[in-house]
Amino acid sequence: MTRRFDFWSLVSIATWAILLLLLIIPVGSVLLSSFIDRSGNTTIANYLAFMSEPRYQRAFVNTLIVGFGGLFGAMLLGSIMAFCISRFQIKGSRFVSLLAILALVSPPFIGAYSWIVLFGAGGVVRAWAKEIGITMPPIYGVGGILIVFALKFYPFVYLMVSGALSNVNRSLEEAAEGLGLTPLQRTFKISFPLVLPALTAGGLLALIQSIADFGTPRLLGRGFNVLATEAYALYSAEIGSNMSMATTISMVLIFVSMAFVMIQRFMSRRNVYHGNMINKPVKIQLKGWRNWLAHFAVYFIGLCGAMPVIISIIYSFRKTSGPVFQEGFALQSYERIMFNLGDVVRNSLTFSAIAVALIVIAGTIIGVLVARRTNLNTSLLDGAFMIPYVMPGIVIGIAYIAAFNTGPIVLTGTAAIIILSIFIRRLPYTVRTTSTALRQISPSLEEAAISLGYSPFQAFLRVTVPLIVPGIIAGAMLSFVTAINELSSSLVLYVGSTITMPVRIYLLILDGDFGTAAAMSTILLVLSGIAVYIAFRLMGRNEQALL
Amino acid sequence: MAYLTVVDGVKQFVGFRALNGVSISVEQGEFFTLLGPSGCGKTTLLRAIAGFNDLTSGTITLAGKDLRSVPPHQRDIGMVFQDYAVFPHLSVFDNVAFGLKPRKVPQAEIKTRVAEALDAVHLGALAERLPAAMSGGQQQRIGLARAMVINPRLLLMDEPLSNLDAKLRIELREEIRDIQKRVDIATIYVTHDQEEALAISDRICVMSAGQIEQIGTPQEIYGDPQTLFVANFVGTLNTLDTGPNLERMLGQLSLRAPNADTWTIRPESLRLVGEGEGAGPDHAALEGTVAKFTYLGREAHVLVKTDVGELVVQLGAAELKTLRSPGDRVFVLVPRDALMAFDADTKRIKLED
Ligand SMILES: Nc1ncnc2c1ncn2[C@@H]1O[C@H](COP(=O)(O)OP(=O)(O)OP(=O)(O)O)[C@@H](O)[C@H]1O
Ligand SMILES: [Mg+2]
Repeated sequence: MTRRFDFWSLVSIATWAILLLLLIIPVGSVLLSSFIDRSGNTTIANYLAFMSEPRYQRAFVNTLIVGFGGLFGAMLLGSIMAFCISRFQIKGSRFVSLLAILALVSPPFIGAYSWIVLFGAGGVVRAWAKEIGITMPPIYGVGGILIVFALKFYPFVYLMVSGALSNVNRSLEEAAEGLGLTPLQRTFKISFPLVLPALTAGGLLALIQSIADFGTPRLLGRGFNVLATEAYALYSAEIGSNMSMATTISMVLIFVSMAFVMIQRFMSRRNVYHGNMINKPVKIQLKGWRNWLAHFAVYFIGLCGAMPVIISIIYSFRKTSGPVFQEGFALQSYERIMFNLGDVVRNSLTFSAIAVALIVIAGTIIGVLVARRTNLNTSLLDGAFMIPYVMPGIVIGIAYIAAFNTGPIVLTGTAAIIILSIFIRRLPYTVRTTSTALRQISPSLEEAAISLGYSPFQAFLRVTVPLIVPGIIAGAMLSFVTAINELSSSLVLYVGSTITMPVRIYLLILDGDFGTAAAMSTILLVLSGIAVYIAFRLMGRNEQALL
Repeated sequence: MAYLTVVDGVKQFVGFRALNGVSISVEQGEFFTLLGPSGCGKTTLLRAIAGFNDLTSGTITLAGKDLRSVPPHQRDIGMVFQDYAVFPHLSVFDNVAFGLKPRKVPQAEIKTRVAEALDAVHLGALAERLPAAMSGGQQQRIGLARAMVINPRLLLMDEPLSNLDAKLRIELREEIRDIQKRVDIATIYVTHDQEEALAISDRICVMSAGQIEQIGTPQEIYGDPQTLFVANFVGTLNTLDTGPNLERMLGQLSLRAPNADTWTIRPESLRLVGEGEGAGPDHAALEGTVAKFTYLGREAHVLVKTDVGELVVQLGAAELKTLRSPGDRVFVLVPRDALMAFDADTKRIKLED
């Protein structure tokens, strides 16, 4: 191959320009800002303050607590569900999977609030329980946060592990059986090591999401602070906003997330098993109480995880007077959205649509570059794209403020800054799926077209593109789901005219207007549902693609 | 000048030389086969001719014109790929019709030509199916029809029959041969199956480790191999142990070749005889005992321990009536003109009469 300056060199330069502008400069600004004090001098005082002030120490410890708590909760629920569904005959297992998807795409924060509605100080369930003489503690505090995280993030583990479990070649287990291992030994010695990479990968997702989430601790925490809430509080404080401390905490958050990604990579470094699926596992029909127990576990987890969604759909149709719920049902909440909050819905739709369009165009072209031009440059690119993957949304938001508030490019307060923050967070996903899809297409397909008389570009267009387009559209739909539900970076970046639906839901909940919040969540859910449906139609029901 | 020529073709990959000075010439209408073990550079040479992987150095000409300067899609060379390369999103019909579209063939003619091509590979009934769920053999035949239907200037086939069952393989290789003769397209065919190469080719080029060992007709390749590699790779070969016993036998046959390093003979040239039969100035008889007897239906292989090493003797149908069992004392008759000698460079040595 002779090295020429061509279209792909241009793409490569453009990609680095995008990364520089949207990733390296913002992260650099955060880093820089964390080393500068209020009067503009270079200092490490922020980090010293972080280490010495009990408030931050507590936030750090609490972050680890919710991170690992979310991790173990999600792993427990997710692997129980995955094991039951992929190994036992469960009636309505597709419905249960749907419940998991529902939990996964449910709008953020609504979860925490729905649990308050049920189990909060004036919670419905607690009130019932009191009537029959049971007093339960309200859900606030660290326990509540962990319950919500476990139920919200278990689908990550469930989808990963069930994918891996249904790929464990049954011959392996049969071989172990032949060697005289008991069923329990088989599970731990054969199946467990084989699904361990999936388990840790799913767990990692739950961990990173738990660390990044700040709405749940904020609503349920009641004084239980984590790094994400600290960063947001420092940034958004009306008086005495402390940007350099906020960026310091952001840096700590980035490092914590990075560290966990590294640990997970290290743990599963050798554990890539490629099964050739000759002997698919069969599902066992359980009998008696075991059957009941398996069904109970699966449905209990599924319904609890989807509970916030169910609650908010029901509450969205309840009659209200002001923010107070009345007896009976009505469409008042939806009317309020139609007449007063139409622009919010419009904002969300246009921002997401533009972001997704940009993601698809840039992601596909860069994906082709990464797949077709394997050299140092592209492996560097591959690495750089890991960074947005582990950046908590709140950190991206703060980073964009730090980078684009002053200086040559001022974007704060524009729609562009929200769109770009969504763009950079989701771009890596599209790049990766495109390049993986391309690597799976044999290069001899294009060569066949060339030998039949098509120019290389024509061959790409007529052979490769039709093969990857369904995957790209499906990916776009899933990006749309993430984009339209994105809250934490928008919360930092929004101004009055660029409020999006998740931000509005958050503000409505803080205002105590749960009816309208529930209706808006329902709309969001319907939009996400449509996108997921289109994606599944295009690529088959592939739940793993949601991760 | 030949129709297609490759002169001094060299292909250097990073840290690996896949072609090391390869020169071939293929005549108009000729069926030319590249034969060699896995990894010897057959595909690499084919891809260089097709233009997917340019040579590091060397020249390629087609019909007198330089080919290396022509971009691959303008070379008009049909190719059948080792991994089928069937377009999964197109029906069988559209796969085959794919190459006719850029050639601006009218719609009606496309229909008839594609139908003909599909019939030729026995796929007429599957025209509207999608290839994804088809067997490897069916996909390979789609690739074959697709490459032939465009009437290219040159047809390249990379192991087009490797995934078929034995029967279909023989049937299709006859079919390929017939079609090729009918349309008279110069064809380069790659295989590592020696029987296939012998059956189908006008000429065979035996390759090893990026180099050409010998080019010749099937008879020349099999009957008159020029290197030890060719003799070994095409057909089976007995190598005689060197030493005083071999010298004595060669003396009997008054064969002298001072440079000879290796003496060989093919199993089918050997015969089993009774004591004292057949020996003379043109035949040496070696005494030995049967070590193994392998019955193969049409023929049988007898492994005989002699004082020049273990020799495989191939028995034809006529001799199969007498069963041999291990331990039997037998005599192996070695014809003088069937012995082949090779020098230290593994080159064939011509023996005087
Ligand atoms: N892109 C490449 N980079 C480095 N080495 C290569 C490359 N392509 C092929 N080779 C090497 O060149 C040698 C010849 O490969 P080639 O594919 O031509 O073999 P072949 O004769 O077609 O074998 P087979 O019968 O297995 O198809 C092999 O050793 C292969 O590993
Ligand atoms: Mg090959």
